[in-house]
Amino acid sequence: MPYDKYETVIGLEIHVQLATRSKAFCGDDASFGGEPNTYISPISLGHPGTLPRLNKKQVEYAVRLGLALGSRINLTSTFDRKNYFYADLPKGYQITQDRQPICVGGQLNIRVGEEQKIVRIHHIHMEEDAGKSMHDAEGPYSLIDLNRAGVPLLEIVSEPDLRSAEEVDAYMSAMRQLVRYLGISDGNMEQGSLRCDCNVSIRPKGSETLGQRCEIKNLNSMRYARRAIEYEVRRQAVLIESGGRVEQQTLNFDPATGITAPLRDKEDAHDYRYFPEPDLPPVVLEPGYVEEVRRNLPALPWEVYDRLTEEFGLPAYDAGLLSEERPTAIFFLELAQHTANFKAAANLIINKVIPYCNERGMEITAFPVSHGQLAAFIRLIDEGKVANAAAYQHIFPVLAESPNRPPLDIAQSLNLIQTSDEGLLEKLVEEVLANNPDEVERYRKGKKGLIGFFMGEVMKASQGQADPKVVNGLLRGKLG
Amino acid sequence: MPKYTTLSQVQQAIRSGAESCESLVQYYLGRIEASRALNAYVEVYAEEALARARELDAQYREKPEAAGRLHGMVLSHKDVICYKDHRVSAGSKILEGFTSLFTATALERLLAEGAILIGRTNCDEFAMGSTNETSYFGPVKNAADPTKVPGGSSGGSAVAVQADTCLASLGSDTGGSVRQPAAFCGVVGFKPTYGRISRYGLLAYGSSFDQIGPLTHSVEDAALLLEIMAGPDEYDSTASSREVPAYSRQLDFGGKARLAYFNTALEHPSLDPGIRQACDGLIGRLRAEGHTVEGVDFEYLDYIIPAYYVLTTAEASSNLSRYDGIRYGYRSPDAGNLMSTYKRSRTEGFGTEAKRRIMLGTFVLSAGYYDAYYAKAQKVRRLIRGKTEAIFKSYDFILMPAAPGPAWNLGEKMDEPVAMYLADIFTVQANMAGIPALALPVGAHPGGLPVGLQFMAPKFEEGKLLAFGRYLEALLPGSA
Repeated sequence: MPYDKYETVIGLEIHVQLATRSKAFCGDDASFGGEPNTYISPISLGHPGTLPRLNKKQVEYAVRLGLALGSRINLTSTFDRKNYFYADLPKGYQITQDRQPICVGGQLNIRVGEEQKIVRIHHIHMEEDAGKSMHDAEGPYSLIDLNRAGVPLLEIVSEPDLRSAEEVDAYMSAMRQLVRYLGISDGNMEQGSLRCDCNVSIRPKGSETLGQRCEIKNLNSMRYARRAIEYEVRRQAVLIESGGRVEQQTLNFDPATGITAPLRDKEDAHDYRYFPEPDLPPVVLEPGYVEEVRRNLPALPWEVYDRLTEEFGLPAYDAGLLSEERPTAIFFLELAQHTANFKAAANLIINKVIPYCNERGMEITAFPVSHGQLAAFIRLIDEGKVANAAAYQHIFPVLAESPNRPPLDIAQSLNLIQTSDEGLLEKLVEEVLANNPDEVERYRKGKKGLIGFFMGEVMKASQGQADPKVVNGLLRGKLG
Repeated sequence: MPKYTTLSQVQQAIRSGAESCESLVQYYLGRIEASRALNAYVEVYAEEALARARELDAQYREKPEAAGRLHGMVLSHKDVICYKDHRVSAGSKILEGFTSLFTATALERLLAEGAILIGRTNCDEFAMGSTNETSYFGPVKNAADPTKVPGGSSGGSAVAVQADTCLASLGSDTGGSVRQPAAFCGVVGFKPTYGRISRYGLLAYGSSFDQIGPLTHSVEDAALLLEIMAGPDEYDSTASSREVPAYSRQLDFGGKARLAYFNTALEHPSLDPGIRQACDGLIGRLRAEGHTVEGVDFEYLDYIIPAYYVLTTAEASSNLSRYDGIRYGYRSPDAGNLMSTYKRSRTEGFGTEAKRRIMLGTFVLSAGYYDAYYAKAQKVRRLIRGKTEAIFKSYDFILMPAAPGPAWNLGEKMDEPVAMYLADIFTVQANMAGIPALALPVGAHPGGLPVGLQFMAPKFEEGKLLAFGRYLEALLPGSA
């Protein structure tokens, strides 16, 4: 099947659950994971006579994201009702923004392999989440948990700028990273804090017109998104190749079977009857308010990345890893104030600190060793007192358990201080050469690789404490 | 004649020792019993009201100076206003068995000033009706002539006051539901500016029109009740934060007023000659007193009703979605799955008029019809608002009949919904424009039924309007 004559076109609607303390339109706890139906009130239950009131934090978070993405902030935005019946939608409508969303336009730069790519944002709007339905859990009944009903969401609608599942992956990762940097969401996909609907179509390469699209609903993991898109692209190509036509549909992806299938017709035929929400006045923002939010924006992921490569001279790989999460970047920047060996600092964080925290399910902010102590650890290696490998292998674990012990002290008690006493080392070198006359001869005849053998013998004789740099110099001098 | 027509009379009697809260409640309970046949109440809080009266009496004996401003106020409330731990059913079967978990803000404020709630009054189902005949609990009868309707939708409240079963009642007014029954029953009905009183705890019909309003024997009491209920509420974002004047202490109207009436209204083919006569009589009287009363052109009168019914039914169709048989209220015993729960519960739970308006509203919001109906009606609303405001540039008040005729026969218009809708022609303008309007009894129709006329004022000018209303009460003896 000649799939490669088609180009894939994807637009994404990402739903971000905001990390506000209370819900979008009432004071209920908005946390994840409470006992079912405990974070509720007459308002979130849609009891007769209740009215919504806007959570100001939701607005602030929307503006924060909009500014980070370079969107135009609508100083006046309005709410609308989206009407449909469902058991987990207590009011029979969802409060959303249809006509005048809070943010319009903007873009997010993503990296796909070596390539940079701009994904344009169509708009961002505020809305509320529905409750959670659990079907088939309890015999013929469905269970409803309304803890999530009314939790604030931002929906980020992209232009159809993505061309592959890989790009979708990169875009979602970048968006997840951004919302976490901004502190507006935990970005936790397993808990549903980040979900997406994918609009997928294909068209012959070179064509400028868009093909008929299908919408795959509610993908709550990047892996599923990837599989769903790959399946869907193939399905559309097969359909077209066999003379068929793609019909606009809303699809569900079943992770168990790996295929997409249309939602039932009735659900698909929703007419949401949007109209202005009469219970909420327009959201009117002062220009000064927007400027204040802008002033308080944290450094953004790409700004941090550029700083790491440009100011600190780190390789792209290191900068990527260190800037992935804001706390990691902050950890590096703070450590960099205590040491001038930025590369060593980066290595230490990437190879030791991060794995240490990951193994323990610990946030990097909780890592017990101070930046000063870590800088002393780096200095120990830089000054040649301890071999790099020995320091990583033996000193780091002890330091992590006794964060206040000076690294030098640990090195001494573990007998890891390297000997650079030339007199002593010269004697050892001479002994090794005298004990291995054959190898010496072969070396002199050109088998230069044997230098490693001699090094090893000397290190062994010194019980690992010889400074390899000094030994190397001595060996080369004696061997000629 | 009612025993008391103002709270100040009641409080005078309490101070003199002739009356106590308990004796008042006993009196009104007796009146309720005597007028059972009028069907004004759906629930009487007899024991509770007596207990509260005794408690208030005890407090008063202890510390008379600490009594609330509404000490001695025996009040009823329309069955669309929530009272914690009490049923609220909006005159509908669909709320069967439902108990509210909170008290409406307006009611809460009255209770805090010592009001005693004596019962919940009958009304049209979800306040949809002009005769109180759409109530699940049966029609209310006009105390002036039990073969006549009391008006609606706050018919129970109007009759409760008319029949002297309480001193005042809280109604709600979406298109005249306080003023028209007040006029039919010969009591004072007042609809404040939209947003003047919090709607929290008022079951929504047309959210951008609904407003709670008092029905009383006197303008004085309306002013006092308004003063206490009005003001911002963190639970209603559409409640105005504008300062609340001391209406009850600013009831002296001095100087000369400028009033406009619409030629199109007084010459309207639907206007009953007896009402016309009452208007002309009042106009002559006012002119004789030196006020200016002039006819102005208002070419939109016949557009008001169509636009109003498009907008309110649209909002209602969404507002009534929450009554779905899932979480509270009536659920059909024959429901077998989600869809049949919706269909059967709503089919069996809503009456004809509510269903008619839900369907109308659903239709006008449907894809393809929105622009032709909803969007156009919004434009009409803006025009009417603009034109009304323009009139207030030259006039203090607009004088208008409250209804085209006096109370008609029970059952007379039940089969003619459009004729019924058209009877709202004079009251709807105030809701379309969001302005305050006062219905005052001005005398008797040739056939003996009460006649009420209506006065409208610019937004938030209820102070001026109420003062003028009090002036009229004095000018037209026998009106109150």
